[in-house]
Amino acid sequence: MTAPRFDELIHAPTRLAIVSLLAASEWADFAFIRDSVGLSDSALSKQLATLEDAGYVEIRKSFVGKRPRTSAALTAAGRAAFDGHVAALQEIVSRAGASVLPR
Amino acid sequence: MREEMRAEEAAQALAGIRERQEQVINVAVPPARFWWLLATLTVAFAAAVESRRPLVIGVGTALFVAGVLASLAWALRRAMRVQVRNELLGWRGGMLIAGFALLTAGGSIAVGFSLSAAGVPHPATLGNLFGAILLVAGGPLLMRALRRIMLDRSGAAQ
Repeated sequence: MTAPRFDELIHAPTRLAIVSLLAASEWADFAFIRDSVGLSDSALSKQLATLEDAGYVEIRKSFVGKRPRTSAALTAAGRAAFDGHVAALQEIVSRAGASVLPR
Repeated sequence: MREEMRAEEAAQALAGIRERQEQVINVAVPPARFWWLLATLTVAFAAAVESRRPLVIGVGTALFVAGVLASLAWALRRAMRVQVRNELLGWRGGMLIAGFALLTAGGSIAVGFSLSAAGVPHPATLGNLFGAILLVAGGPLLMRALRRIMLDRSGAAQ
């Protein structure tokens, strides 16, 4: 059971969307994250850099043939922070009862 | 913890998390037409082999190989975009996949051999047809069950 810990850095809507995608994956391609979240390349790079600076995300650059490929993965610290954040959100909801559960 | 956060806001955040995780899981789950393609390929291949006519066997084999390669390329292209976390499937998911594979392969072989023993013509085609029906009917059900397992294990379930 993960201890609830609200994380302000993760909770920002765009970063929460990115981290949620990464939490369900071993790694995700830059283009997949960009298209799924609906961000421009530069906006996504900025958000990923913020998460990387916090130690939550690892950026990997590689080549497929001659094409550069960038992917991102959650680090162990990022996964722990995400799990704690989800537990904190669940705690807030459960304190209020089932009436606020989304569809 | 941010005490001032409203429960509605937290619930919305959790729903958003689940939605994003569904996006990742949906990439890993093949659509229903995949099962139709697989079923058609196996039945057509068995029928071609049982025709015993070299030209039909040649064309059937070529189509089968082309179909398998096309579906592999499609799966590979999807896999290049994102890799779903391995542990989301869990032992239950693994057992479901193994059980389904055993059921379809074992069922096809058992029906094929039984029909052959009974002297029914085209036993391999009919055996594969049985397996194909299982694939088309059970494949989407299996995917739905796996999708539910992965979502439940993704952590955002409430």
